[in-house]
Amino acid sequence: MDMKVKGSKELLTEVTDAGLCTLCGACAGGCPYLVSYKGRIVLLDSCTLSEGQCYQYCPRTYTDMDVISQRVFGTPYSGDELGTTKEVLMARSTDGHIKERAQYGGTVTTLLSLALEEGLIDGAILTKMSDDKTPSAFLARSREEMLKCAGSNYMACPVLQALNGIPKDSEQRLAVVAMPCQVLALSKMREEPPQNRVNIGNVKLVVGLFCTWALSPDGFHQFLKENLDLPQVTKFDIPPPPANIFEAYTPSGKISFPLDEIRKFVMPACACCLDMTSEFADISVGSVEGIEGWNTVIIRTDVGAQLIEMAKEKGKLEVDILPPENLAHLKEASLLKKKRALQEIITRSGDRNNLLYVGLQQSIIDRLLA
Amino acid sequence: MSGVGIDAPGSTQLFIGNEAIARGALEAGIGLASAYPGTPSTEIMESLISVAKEKNFYAEWSINEKVALEVAAGASFAGIRAITSMKQNGVNVVFDFLANIVMSGIGAGLILVSCDDPSAISSSNEQDTRHIAKWLDIPLLEPGTFQEAKDMTKWAFDLAEELNSICMIRSVTRIAHARGNVTLGELPKKEQKAHFDSICPVVPTLPKFIPYPSAWLHSQLHAKLDKARELFESSPFNWYTGPEEAELLLITCGSCWLYSLEAVNALKLESKVGILKLGTIWPLPQKLIETHLGKSQKILMVEEIDPFLEGSIKELVADLPPDSPHPRFYGKHSGHINAYGELNPDMVIEAIAKIMGLAYQPRDPEYSKKAEEVPITYMPPRIMTFCPGCPHRAAFWAIKNALRLDGRDGFVTGDIGCYSMAIGPAGFFQERTMYCMGAGAGVANGLGKLGQFGFNQPVLAVCGDSTFFHATIPALINGIYNQSNFTLIILDNNATAMTGFQPHPGTGVTGMGETTRAVDMEALCHSLGVQVEVCDPFDLENTTATLLKALAQDGGPRVVIMRRECELVRARRDKKPLYKVHVDPDKCLGEACGCDRLCTRVFGCQGMVWDSESGKANIDETICTSCGVCADICPQGAIIREAV
Repeated sequence: MDMKVKGSKELLTEVTDAGLCTLCGACAGGCPYLVSYKGRIVLLDSCTLSEGQCYQYCPRTYTDMDVISQRVFGTPYSGDELGTTKEVLMARSTDGHIKERAQYGGTVTTLLSLALEEGLIDGAILTKMSDDKTPSAFLARSREEMLKCAGSNYMACPVLQALNGIPKDSEQRLAVVAMPCQVLALSKMREEPPQNRVNIGNVKLVVGLFCTWALSPDGFHQFLKENLDLPQVTKFDIPPPPANIFEAYTPSGKISFPLDEIRKFVMPACACCLDMTSEFADISVGSVEGIEGWNTVIIRTDVGAQLIEMAKEKGKLEVDILPPENLAHLKEASLLKKKRALQEIITRSGDRNNLLYVGLQQSIIDRLLA
Repeated sequence: MSGVGIDAPGSTQLFIGNEAIARGALEAGIGLASAYPGTPSTEIMESLISVAKEKNFYAEWSINEKVALEVAAGASFAGIRAITSMKQNGVNVVFDFLANIVMSGIGAGLILVSCDDPSAISSSNEQDTRHIAKWLDIPLLEPGTFQEAKDMTKWAFDLAEELNSICMIRSVTRIAHARGNVTLGELPKKEQKAHFDSICPVVPTLPKFIPYPSAWLHSQLHAKLDKARELFESSPFNWYTGPEEAELLLITCGSCWLYSLEAVNALKLESKVGILKLGTIWPLPQKLIETHLGKSQKILMVEEIDPFLEGSIKELVADLPPDSPHPRFYGKHSGHINAYGELNPDMVIEAIAKIMGLAYQPRDPEYSKKAEEVPITYMPPRIMTFCPGCPHRAAFWAIKNALRLDGRDGFVTGDIGCYSMAIGPAGFFQERTMYCMGAGAGVANGLGKLGQFGFNQPVLAVCGDSTFFHATIPALINGIYNQSNFTLIILDNNATAMTGFQPHPGTGVTGMGETTRAVDMEALCHSLGVQVEVCDPFDLENTTATLLKALAQDGGPRVVIMRRECELVRARRDKKPLYKVHVDPDKCLGEACGCDRLCTRVFGCQGMVWDSESGKANIDETICTSCGVCADICPQGAIIREAV
């Protein structure tokens, strides 16, 4: 497998043009050439560098999972359904104000807010929806600003472009709330820190979100615009199966769309993603199927464990065990995503030995393909 | 400006050809001069306009060449001598009116000067306007010296009045812009009175100044040409030098006469090769030419651009009686002289040497090699580019970024102006079509109607502010009327910059320097019911955003005016830079930045240099105009822009 760092030209041919770009934003804004715009990575001018950070940190250029896992956890990549975990539990905020605005249990906003209060971070890079529900990256520096970013719209957002835009000499300690692909990119950045303008050392906390797929911010937003009065929408949701719908909350009630109608806007890259639970984050957060108002929380690192502990101690989070059937179901779903993604990758590459960006031990591959 | 108005008959002045033509017009007693600027013709009007008040005549920069000639015709119709000057492309703009006025005849002397640009050094095309005179039956003169440029122009007015026909003078770059001695004549002192007399002397019930009855007038026109031919037979502007019987006869005109003279002299062939220099180009002095045709069995035609004399003289020969001399012709058809580009003495030498079987080496090969190496070794490589501080660079930067972001393979259609350089690296290769003035918008009209064929590439048409007035307004109105989908970008730098900052209807100043009512282009566009956005191209972010908004729209055209004064105009007036700009060497990361030298490699302003010693970017203070735009493109914020 080719581990060589290449340039922007190869990034575009091997990732963007190949339908592997997740719009994570890792390649964008770090140089004057690549930017993200309306759901695309755009090359503004030709860059002649044969090696670029754009290629290096892309979560869809070749990634040796063992190297990343070693960097984050000090162990090789396990290949377990949920990755390396310390503890899997469920949690919800004790703050009514947060719960009111949160997608599920308000755990992410609560943790960020706590980290800010305790002086662990100076701000968090989040996804904010504009009035017309266009997602964009946003550096929130206060609890109020964090609250404004609560909730999901299921669209891909190049959050890491915002990180790349923060000056190197900025001493701000940051949290990043990221999708699995973005968490992987951040891990690649931590493994080989950027040499020019980005100071990855400023990132003190990575909160990963669960993700099965993301929607194209261009096509799907267009769809929403055609079907909804967007400024009126207060929340989007995909209720757990078997609902099979996408819901928009408006003052006049919920408006539902069949999920099959939505699926056509899924980023083509998402089918090749093996990671549902942000396996390299400090803490991963998702919903709990069948238990409304709670989050599934996976604690993965010491940083993550300390923060959860602090939240518990200070009464910011209410924590409970995740029912075994939920844990089993989560593992099943995560494994299924891995298997499907690997099959899709092989279909695309046309070669069982060419897994595109995925660098896994053969034993894990064999297990997943079995 | 030069001393074109100096009242010292008999004295000798050093004039460029354009000044000599202007002086000729002054000696002819013009009352009106009009022009649209265009290289290499511009200095004719600039010379005239500089003395217009003092010499008590009217001069103007007109909106375009057609209107300029119509303005001049108005004066002629009221008995006032008038001249209008333009570059070769301008004659195309004038063509329709020209084809009509030639039928009707004129009042007082009316002269059109066309300055052709062989090699298209400053033009969108290379074109020989002599054909237009022949095509339309217009008497045509072409000066071969600076003195002639003055004398011919003066005489052209007498000729025009004697023939009752507009007359043309054709000049070329090396006459227009080269400099030589001109001995001055008298400047007329008499008062002029304008009066429009419309009674047709032939049919009193008809107006005088109409091209009707056309067929009859056409026959009269041919009679005028016959008369012109008679006059030209004895014109002092045609002459022969050389032996009575020559081994080779050169027939030439204009600047090529000088090249011919030099070539014959260099080859020391004065006793063997004759030169017939013609100054009256159309109609040709038939008898004079026939006389000289007998001087040699070999004739070489030396002229720039098209084989005009060559073809016309061959036509004459075809009509000669069978016992007349039928020499062999050499020139463009035989391949001895290029039918494109400028000529020079070496080319003429080569042609003569080939015909006469001479071995001629213009210079020692070793010397030639060295001479070729010198510029490569000692001259820094330069591309055709915008001046430092030019708003167009910023405008095309924003255009490029907007089109890339838009991502639908949009492109720019354009025309001729400073911004034509956007066909190359100066404007990031954005301008993808470039034709005559106004053509960018016209072509965009057609592209913008191709939706039914699956065409969805955004079309941006660019024009300059002067070009907007000159020829773009009809294309914009057509687009509105026919609802063509394109964005018109007016690069408004408040000057006709390419030709030397002449004012235009939008500037609020007349050619003679008087304050006038500026035509408000936004208000004009608004009145047409079209959406207009105005932005400052130096504000790259806002300009890009404005363009993206325009690109996202469908339906009829929308207008984006990118307004920022030409830096040369601003700097001349304000005499101080906009900002203080420098590179902070601590902030510039050089090759380690990962920016791949965006500032010097891509943005490419000549005011920025890559310092190979420090491995960092730097400002070339001798060239930089401190516009400060580069501060916004540096991803590292290493270019510092401070208030002055």
